[in-house]
Amino acid sequence: MIESLQLCKQFQDKKRGVVRAVESVSFRCQPGQIYGLLGANGAGKTTTLRMLATILKPTSGTAKVAGHDVVTEPQKVRASVGFLSTATALYGRLTAQEMVEYFGRLHGLDEGTLKKRVDEIFNRLNMKEFRTRACDKLSTGEKQKVSIARTLVNDPPVMIFDEPTVGLDVMTARTIVGFIRECRQRGKTVIFSTHVMSEAEKLCDTIGIIHNGRLMAEGTLAALRTQHNLEDLEDIFVQVVGDQK
Amino acid sequence: MSLRNVGIIYRKELTDSLRDRRTLISSIVVPILSFPLLMLAIGAIAVFVITKTTQQQQVVALIHAEQAPDLAQRIRRERNLRVVGDAENYIQRINDKSLQAAVEFPTGMEEKIRTSPEEPQTVKIYVYEDELRSSTAARAIESVVRQYRDEIVTQRISSRGLEARALQPFKTEKQNVASAEKVTGNVLGFILPYFIIILCLTGAMYPAIDMTAGEKERGTMETILASPIGRGELVFGKFLLTLTASLVTTALSIISLGLTVMAVPFLFSQLSKKFVVAVSIKAAAAVFFLILPLAIVFAAVMMALALRARNYREAQSLLAPLLFLVILPALASMVPGIELNPRLALVPVMNVSLVAKEILAGQYPWPFIGIIFGSTCVYAAAALFYARRQFESEEVLFRI
Repeated sequence: MIESLQLCKQFQDKKRGVVRAVESVSFRCQPGQIYGLLGANGAGKTTTLRMLATILKPTSGTAKVAGHDVVTEPQKVRASVGFLSTATALYGRLTAQEMVEYFGRLHGLDEGTLKKRVDEIFNRLNMKEFRTRACDKLSTGEKQKVSIARTLVNDPPVMIFDEPTVGLDVMTARTIVGFIRECRQRGKTVIFSTHVMSEAEKLCDTIGIIHNGRLMAEGTLAALRTQHNLEDLEDIFVQVVGDQK
Repeated sequence: MSLRNVGIIYRKELTDSLRDRRTLISSIVVPILSFPLLMLAIGAIAVFVITKTTQQQQVVALIHAEQAPDLAQRIRRERNLRVVGDAENYIQRINDKSLQAAVEFPTGMEEKIRTSPEEPQTVKIYVYEDELRSSTAARAIESVVRQYRDEIVTQRISSRGLEARALQPFKTEKQNVASAEKVTGNVLGFILPYFIIILCLTGAMYPAIDMTAGEKERGTMETILASPIGRGELVFGKFLLTLTASLVTTALSIISLGLTVMAVPFLFSQLSKKFVVAVSIKAAAAVFFLILPLAIVFAAVMMALALRARNYREAQSLLAPLLFLVILPALASMVPGIELNPRLALVPVMNVSLVAKEILAGQYPWPFIGIIFGSTCVYAAAALFYARRQFESEEVLFRI
């Protein structure tokens, strides 16, 4: 489970002074559910997810991820999370198998378990063909599969996806969307950020609309439709964000 | 900190580096080949120039040769000299290098030598100073003139009923009592500390940039930060690889330099055969233990600085001033007159350069060695702490 409690993040910017990237963001995401964080560029999605993955420290507030506190137990949180974003690239000089094995070892898996796990994932994602190929030589789709394999190697209970389909072609994006669905089916807690409305409509059990670092609206798609008396998510989004401009 | 995790990071970085052509070139190929190629090129050029100069006849003009016909004749007979009759504009021609030297005999020289032995005669040799061919010509002329003068002196002494030996009541004999190790050490102590320090720095530079700014540029920094390892383990694993690269580069360069120096006399018989490389194991070990903490300082500082950059190019700009900061104190071993003292023993880089010079020359100033090792270890610990802090700074990692 993910439980965000009044998460705040401030940066000191030389030109702009203090920037409040995320302000008092609280939400909850249950196992077997997908929580979608919907927002425009610069809304605070990436910063929120980076705090949940303990890559950034909150200025105030906290969050519990798989029962661990992001402020006081960051390593335990990272051990329970699979984090995938367009910014999480692969080591180009390692082969696909070496890349996945490296992260398996960093997660503390022993060699026997690791071998079994890697074989299982490579079979499941149909990656055998490019197993020994350097990541630099892989196609975009193959690279995405390796990234997915990396996040799955320790079978984490929580998955965090930060705009995972940005810049991908339709087929590769479908692979990712399929993978996110599969995570839900396997009972994992999933949070993902996007600014693509159709993706959020298709995937999310709960949608949170974030704007200027604040969570402006939250609910199931049906609840948001009823609340705003609008059918289309894009219209709902514009109304929520527009109200604040 | 888990040593297992440090080991995992180190092994991965090692694999990664060994597959990177740029790292292999900068850490292995360049240090192995640079000295031999440099020495071969310099040796070949030196041999070519020396051979050409010794085989070539130098053109010499004789001015007022009629005043010293005997001496002039001897100069004409000299194999490496070609005497030209025309002595016009000899100064201009020496400057133009169409003439290598000119010899001017004083009026009535040989006549006066016979008749007025108390009046010394002056033979003037006009040369182009420090020009190789002109100097060669001057040496040949001086040799002929000296022999001519010695013969006259011998004749004069004989005519007074003395033997030539009377002019040499005693002779001096110089004998080297220093071991080959000390003789070599003096020469090596002059240049080697500088080379070792600079190699340590440059050897660490590429991996330090590649594993920090390079990771940011390639987008793998966030990937590794999202893994469950601690920042300390990440820093230490990367630091150990940087240190390895620095030490390997230095060791390969020194071995290559040593082999090249030993091979030069065999390759070029025209050059000196006297130089024998002999460094004791004790001296090599002492220099290594003093260099080690300095290499740690370099590796940690360069990683910390390179991490501040957004990309490879920016990191290179950030690290370039460091090279100048290190070159200056590292040159201390080459500057005559700078001796170790308690104050200089605390100046990083310079202290190691000066003490390494002493050690290679066979001197072991133990109190200074202790101070220098201790202070450099303190600087190394501070540098590592600084590097670790940089890896914990969000501002540095994400430039936010």
